[in-house]
This record gives sequence, structure tokens and C-alpha cells, in this order.
Amino acid sequence: MEELIEILRDGKSRTVEMMAIELNTTVEKIRRDIEFLEHTGVIKKVDFQTACGGGSSCDGCTSCGTGSKSCQSCMPKEGFQNMGTMWEI
Amino acid sequence: MTNKNETVMALLGQPNSGKSTLFNALTGMRQHVGNWPGKTVEKKEGTFSHNGRESLVADLPGTYSLSANSDEEIITRDYIASGKADVVCILADSSQLERSLYMLADYAGINVPCFLVLNMSDVAELQGKKVNVKAIEEKLGIPVVSFSAPDRKGYDVFYEAMERAVREKTILDTSDLEKRYEELEGYNDIKALMKEGVVAGYSSTWLAAKVIEGDEPVIAKMKAAIGGDEKKKLEMLLAKIDKGVVQTGERKFAWIDELLEGGIDAGENNVSLRKFDRLITHRVWGKPVVIAVVLLGLIGSFIPALPLMGVGMLIGMIPDPLYNGMISAGCPMIIATVLCDVLIRSAAFVVQMLGFVFGVTLVFGLLEEIGVMARVSYVFDNTMGKFGLQGKSVMPFLISFGCTMGGAAGTRVIDNWGQKVLTIALAWAVPCGAAWAVIPMLSTIFFGAWVPVIIVVILLVMVLHMWLTAKIFGRSLVKEEDRYGMIMELPPYHKPKWGALFRYVFGRTKDTFIRALKVVVIVALAFWLLSYTGGGDISGSILYKIGHFVEPVTKFFGMSWQTFMAFIASSLGKEGALGVLGTIYSGTGTISVGSMVGGETVSNINELLVQNISKPEALALIFAMTFNMPCIVALAATYQETHSVKWTARIALYYTGVALLLAGIAYHVGLLIW
Repeated sequence: MEELIEILRDGKSRTVEMMAIELNTTVEKIRRDIEFLEHTGVIKKVDFQTACGGGSSCDGCTSCGTGSKSCQSCMPKEGFQNMGTMWEI
Repeated sequence: MTNKNETVMALLGQPNSGKSTLFNALTGMRQHVGNWPGKTVEKKEGTFSHNGRESLVADLPGTYSLSANSDEEIITRDYIASGKADVVCILADSSQLERSLYMLADYAGINVPCFLVLNMSDVAELQGKKVNVKAIEEKLGIPVVSFSAPDRKGYDVFYEAMERAVREKTILDTSDLEKRYEELEGYNDIKALMKEGVVAGYSSTWLAAKVIEGDEPVIAKMKAAIGGDEKKKLEMLLAKIDKGVVQTGERKFAWIDELLEGGIDAGENNVSLRKFDRLITHRVWGKPVVIAVVLLGLIGSFIPALPLMGVGMLIGMIPDPLYNGMISAGCPMIIATVLCDVLIRSAAFVVQMLGFVFGVTLVFGLLEEIGVMARVSYVFDNTMGKFGLQGKSVMPFLISFGCTMGGAAGTRVIDNWGQKVLTIALAWAVPCGAAWAVIPMLSTIFFGAWVPVIIVVILLVMVLHMWLTAKIFGRSLVKEEDRYGMIMELPPYHKPKWGALFRYVFGRTKDTFIRALKVVVIVALAFWLLSYTGGGDISGSILYKIGHFVEPVTKFFGMSWQTFMAFIASSLGKEGALGVLGTIYSGTGTISVGSMVGGETVSNINELLVQNISKPEALALIFAMTFNMPCIVALAATYQETHSVKWTARIALYYTGVALLLAGIAYHVGLLIW
């Protein structure tokens, strides 16, 4: 796991598969490490859903002139659902 | 043991390890739910009998481990250490043993008898995973059983294991784990300082590990228990440790892996990237491939737009005959004009726009459903560094393709204020959903089949624009700093759910139609009023006077005063420009469309525009509109996110200025071509 953290120092983004290849291990082990690091607070999931991610969370958008209606007509209704997950340190 | 000589068993395991199912199966109706004293955490207890003996079961909260990070974990470990439970049943998910045994590893060192249940064995079997239970049992020194809650027959083995654990008081053998811990710097010294009995129920192994991990409750108790010199020594040793939790975690995982060695037979587990992914993550080919896919998608999205344009054009043919009909039927001119010149013409424009809304929404929605958008986000993740931004900034940009306001809100995940502002400033350059409808529509009206070329040029200019903006604004907003990379889990590709997709596309098209219609009608009405003169000749109206006044300046940017007004209206919202274009050439008082074009009659608005606006001017207008500020809502959202009037104003003025500049350039390029 320390290797995993070290590799990330170069600032590049990597997919889980790429990390497994780079660290010469399995994807399952990488996921296990991610789960551990997330639980212990070393890495953090990037959460886009709390940011204006769709109609339901539009109560915070006071700039939506006509309320959540105009929010929805501009933005994907359920926010971006299928974008995968990102973690950062 | 309870007073009535009942055995007390605690169920311990990570979430989704099947605890509840087991608990329910054991206790049936004989359970009750309450709260742990003083906490909001649910407490489930029940009873069951086997072989004539009554037993009490406590279903402990499902937690990842036994750290001090949450109430649930503290409650769980306190309960166990208190000795209230005679035996602990530790559950793990057989299909994910490498992960789910972490709880066991964190339990190691607690001196309460336990036994291990490798649950969900049915799932593991389906996945082709075989577990060597005997080997694991030998290494751990506690009963280990393979189990599957729905399978009634497995319960005999379960009860047997439980009874053996109670009878023999089997404690988890931690010698192997201990050996690994000893590799850690300072472990032996720290362990020596751990006084037995201070925190009851935990061995010095467990305590030392927790202290290294920075477990505050444990550290506090230990410091309170040991005296002055030793306390200082402890503090000194701890100060030398960096990221202790990662160090012990690695040892625990290594212990688990050794435990499972030869114990799992999972078949081959090769990591290989799927072909398309390999292409995308390629250093050189990644971006071109992604761009090509998105471009093809965009251009393809214009296809469903054409029929709707046809419909819109037909609507656009209504005003003329309808007007004549209404007048001869005795309808007051003003009503007829408003209805025909303002309302119907606006509707005609909006309907034409709809086709593009539908197409673009469908294409982007499809790309996201399939999983391509996630790859796009990955590919450009790494480009963010060139702008001075973190990888996750790529999401606000992608969101801005739909709505710049959403993009601005999306920057909430960016903690650094400077980077946030820069991201928003750059996101303004990304054409939003409204732009993807209005711009192609106008381009089609003026340039027909050349639209794809124009779109490509727009995208190129957009990239250049962003690069330049990053250079200009970057200097004062962001500075070089250490960047840690990101890990991304890309979703698997899958077939789109067509039903849901189309429902979403239709819904959004409908919403856009209503919204755009409102905007266009209001703008059209406003401009109609401004251009109203009783006599019918537009040159007497306020609008004309203002227009002629500013025209020398607007010509500089390649636009006549009319198109300039349209450009200004697009600052409110892209479709606002349509409202202007619809009325400014037909004027009021002028009854029919025909009177503006030197005698020739034109049958619909599209032709009207083509006749009145030269190609170079149209090009100028299109570029000006595309790179203008997105809309008034985006402006408000930018202020809301940046909390800075200064920066919001700077960005707005910058974009307006650059838009005009680009218009001028486009105009002169247009002159060269046409």
C-alpha cells in the first residue's frame, strides 16, 4: 500500500487496472487497498453528487430563476450516473 | 454467561457479510431491537436454543474494522472487550476473503474466544472459488466453518463450531501476525510499554498495534495508566511513526494473504485492459480517439435534427398568410402582428432548435450510458495538469457541456479557491446544451452542409481559447504545487437502457422547449416593442435609432447593428438571440415579411435571415454567440460559487471582449471565403 501511495506522487491519474499492472498485483488487491485507505481517511472519494448533480439536489441552487425546473432543463436529470469513481489523497 | 447460565454470543463482521441473515435465521421471532445506551446505534439481541440449551445472540453493528473512527466501532469493541460475550462469531464473505478477513485481522489480539464463519459459500462456489477450510483452521487455531445462510443443513456444523469454541475457549493464534508487526520500527519497544490489564480484554499485541495506528481512545487510556518516564518514552516513539495505520494495515493484509495461500483456488486472474480501453489509455492515441468518437457523435446528433427543422420551417410559413387572413377578417392589427410576428415566429425558431436539443441530448446521454464519458473524463484528467488544475476538474468541464451553471456548481469539489475560479473561467468556454442547439441550427440555416466543418472549427477555437485563458488567468489564480495523482475506477461498458434513455431525452427536450419558448417570446416581444412605430417604417423606432448609433462600432467586429443586438441578447441566454433575429428583420408596422427585402417576398424566417445577413456576418455572429458568456444564470452561479464580484466581472468582461474579437476575425476569414 505504501507503494501505491508513492506512485501517486507523480500527479497522474490512473485506473484501477493500470495500478494493478504497474504494481504487479491483482485488481482485487488494489480495490482492497483502496477500501482500506478510504476507511482510514488516507484517500477520499470525490463526490460529485452533492454538487449540483441533478434535480433532487437543486434546492441549494438559489440562482435557478424558476426553481428546480430550469435546473433540470439544463442538466442531466439524474446527474452523471455512469462516470465511475475517483479517489484522491 | 447470563444469570440463567445461557451462553452469550456476539456476531461480528463487515457490512454485507451476512450477519443479519444469520441472526434472523438463528433467532426467528425471538429478537428485539433497541439502542445502545446513549447512542443512536441500533442494538439487536435475540435468543435461540439448541440441544436443550438457551443462548443469547447480540448482532453487533456491521463495521469495516475495530478502529476508533466511529461510534459503531467503539461500541462493538467495547462490548466484546467487556467480556459480556462468551464467544464471538466472526463472519467473512467467502467470495471476497482477501478483503473481508480484515475484520479478523483487526480482531487478532483480543482475548475473547471466537470462531470464524466463512459465509456466502454459495456465492464463492458460483464464482469458482474454493476455500481450504482445514488449512485456515490449522493456522488460526480456532474453529472455522464454511457456511451459507440459506442452506439449512450447514447449521449443524455451525452449532458444532460454536459449542467447541465455547467449550475449548479457542483464542485466535496471533503469532504469525505478531512476527510481522515486529518488523515495524518501534513496535517492540511500544509493546513493552503496554501494561496488561489497563484496557481489559485486549492483549499487548493489539494495544501496541492500535497505538501505532494513532487510535486516540487507546492512546489516552495508556498514557493515563503509565507513569511519567514511560509516558514520555511512548510519546517519543509515537512521534517517530508516520502513517502508522498504513504500516499495520499492510502487515494485516500480508497476514491474510499468507493465511489464504493455497487456501483459495480462484482460477486465473489476469489483468488486461479491454481493447478499447487500451486504446484510450494510450499516451499518444488516447485523446485523438476520444475526440474522434465525441465528434462523430455530435455530428451524428444533427441528423435527427433535420426533420424537426423542416417542421419549424413550415411553422415559419404560417405568419404571412395567417396575418393576411386575420386582417381581412377584421382583426385589429396589433393583435395580428403580435400573434404572427412575435409568437408564431418565435415558436418556429424554437421548434427548429428542438431537433438539435433532441439529437445532442440523445448522443451525450448514450455516450454516458455506455460508459464512454467516463473514459473521456479519464483521458482529460491528465490534461488538467497543463492548465494548472487537478484531475478532478475535468468533471465540471464535462458537466458544462450540458449546463455551465451545473459546471460551476460542480466545482464545489475543488477545495482550492484559485483552482475553482480558474476551472469556472475555463468552463465558460465550453458550449452548453443551449449552445449545442442554437449554434448548429443557425449554422444550418446559413451554411447548410458545412455545419460539421464549422463545429470542428468551433471546437478547435474552444481549445485554443481555454489554453489562452488558462495562461492569462492562471498566473494570478494558481501556483505550482505538489499534486498527488488520482485513482479512477471506470465503470464497465454496458448496453444502454433504451427505455430510460429515451424517456430522459424526451423529458429534457420538452423542458427545453418550454423554457426556450418563454425566453424567445419575451425577448421577441421586448424587441418588437422597441422597434414599434405607428407608421410601419422601422427607421422611426427607438431601436433603430440606438442601432444606427452603435453601428460604426459593431461593424468593426463584422456585425451589423441587428446581429449585434442578437449577440447582446445571447448574453441572457443563447436562445435570446433567436428572439431578436425573429423580429428585428421583419420589424413591426411592417406587415409582412416581404417588405424588408426590397420588393421580393420571402416565405419564411430562415430565408429572411439569409437574405438580410451575409455569410461572413453570419459567421461572425455565430462565433460571437458561441464564445460569449453562457447565460445570465451561469453568471449568477459563477458569483455564487466564487463569492467574488471582482472575478465574476472580470470573467464576464473577458469573455464578451474575446467573443467580439473572434467575431471580427471570423468576419474577415468569411470575407476571404465568400
